[in-house]
Amino acid sequence: MDRLTRIPHLLMMTLRLPVLALLASLMLMLSSCSSYVQRIVVRSIGRIGEPIDPAPKMITTPILENTKLAVSWVGHATVLIQIHEKVFITDPLLTSAMGMLVKRYVEPGLNPALLPRVDFTLISHIHFDHFSYGSLDMLPKNGTLAIPLGALRYTPDFGFKDIKEMKPWDMIEEEGVQITAVPVQHFSGRYGLDNAWMTDLGYTGYVIEYRGYAVFFAGDTGYHPELFKEIGRRFKIDLAIVPIAPGSSSGLGSRVHTSPLGALEIFKDVGARYMLPMHYRTMFYGSDSNPSEPIDHLRRAAADQGLLERIIGLEIGEQRILF
Amino acid sequence: MKRLLIAFAFFGVVASARAQDSATGNRFGVWFPFQLIPNLTLYSSSAQSGFGFEWEVTPLLYSFGMNKQISPWYSLIVEPTARFTGSIELNAAGQIFTTKLGNSYFAYSGHVMAYVPLIERGEHLSLNLGAAIYRVADQSRVFKVAGISTIFGIAHFNIKHSPNPTTWIGSLEFRIF
Repeated sequence: MDRLTRIPHLLMMTLRLPVLALLASLMLMLSSCSSYVQRIVVRSIGRIGEPIDPAPKMITTPILENTKLAVSWVGHATVLIQIHEKVFITDPLLTSAMGMLVKRYVEPGLNPALLPRVDFTLISHIHFDHFSYGSLDMLPKNGTLAIPLGALRYTPDFGFKDIKEMKPWDMIEEEGVQITAVPVQHFSGRYGLDNAWMTDLGYTGYVIEYRGYAVFFAGDTGYHPELFKEIGRRFKIDLAIVPIAPGSSSGLGSRVHTSPLGALEIFKDVGARYMLPMHYRTMFYGSDSNPSEPIDHLRRAAADQGLLERIIGLEIGEQRILF
Repeated sequence: MKRLLIAFAFFGVVASARAQDSATGNRFGVWFPFQLIPNLTLYSSSAQSGFGFEWEVTPLLYSFGMNKQISPWYSLIVEPTARFTGSIELNAAGQIFTTKLGNSYFAYSGHVMAYVPLIERGEHLSLNLGAAIYRVADQSRVFKVAGISTIFGIAHFNIKHSPNPTTWIGSLEFRIF
């Protein structure tokens, strides 16, 4: 330590190095992410200070009486599903930012304090925008948390009644509710480096079955020509909840994200009666185009294929009773 | 101190090997090469400022914030969730500090640290408290450590204090996994 005290104070180094180090750290962090994530982070940093729009609608009565199947879109991949008396929520994202840096465009369409209970909380994968610790802390804990295989190491003690870690085709059954993890095509990891060992782990879709109704939640996925047909062969699905962004305006999307056309193919492959598009409008999805473009594109494509009346396009905060 | 470091490393390797399971893929094979890349540390005291590179290893960590279905004990590979959701850890590090061109020196240290989650289960902000022993130029000094961690455990700002003679050191450390 004596040697330490002999060395003069280097003021310039003190001033410059933290800035350089911070930039180097951010560059290193970003370089380990996909170009899609890089665009989102850079765009989000540019939005610091901008206000978040209020949700177009707000869910005032999250749990309805005498309902067979109802859905509410809270924003992004967060969907509140009610089948008879059972309540499910998918990938809850109720915070103002995703992963600390990515600010949302539109506030969530649900005040979680209005939720008296959630029977099942379903997590599709461990990315920040789908597995939000702050959002899970806002939810009632009287139900079961379902997570994909590999996610247990990323799951704090939230206090849920139970946690079920599921790999594709695993099924849990509780009080007549059957939840099956189904394969989708995405990627996982949460902190960059772990992407490398979470190659076939940490992401899933789900099929919920209860009292004669079945809902498919795709989470985040790219299109795959076989996976969704297999899901369609195994289940008689009433509602498919499918992401429609980010994706190219033409084609089926990337390997890990569907475009509106890819989402429509998934809808047809699983053979569902209705489709609820999600995973758009809520944040920056990699392009500065009109935030409503994915849903407009989906509607045009669905109309061309005679499927428009089966597309349930909800506003953020809108609730719909299907049956 | 050397014996202690060797014991930590040995225990860590054994414990990590035992912790491998099919649900987490080839974690060690990916993680280990990345540990050869040092963490960047910037520091400033009343006497001097500079930067350093640090190779850090966590032989043992007890997480009290994780779900009860997994073991609270971690070794070597510690997901940031496990550390910042609340934990106590032993870690050891080797550092090369540079104050100006041509003036670098080596140090090694051992730490006992506790992490207390403050925001978003500690991913956004956690409180760091602990103690460290540094050995530099054949002299050892004990420091009390307090600070914060943010950006998913990538950035750490710590203040270290040691009496006799009173020394305050502020450090900004960047750590990836």
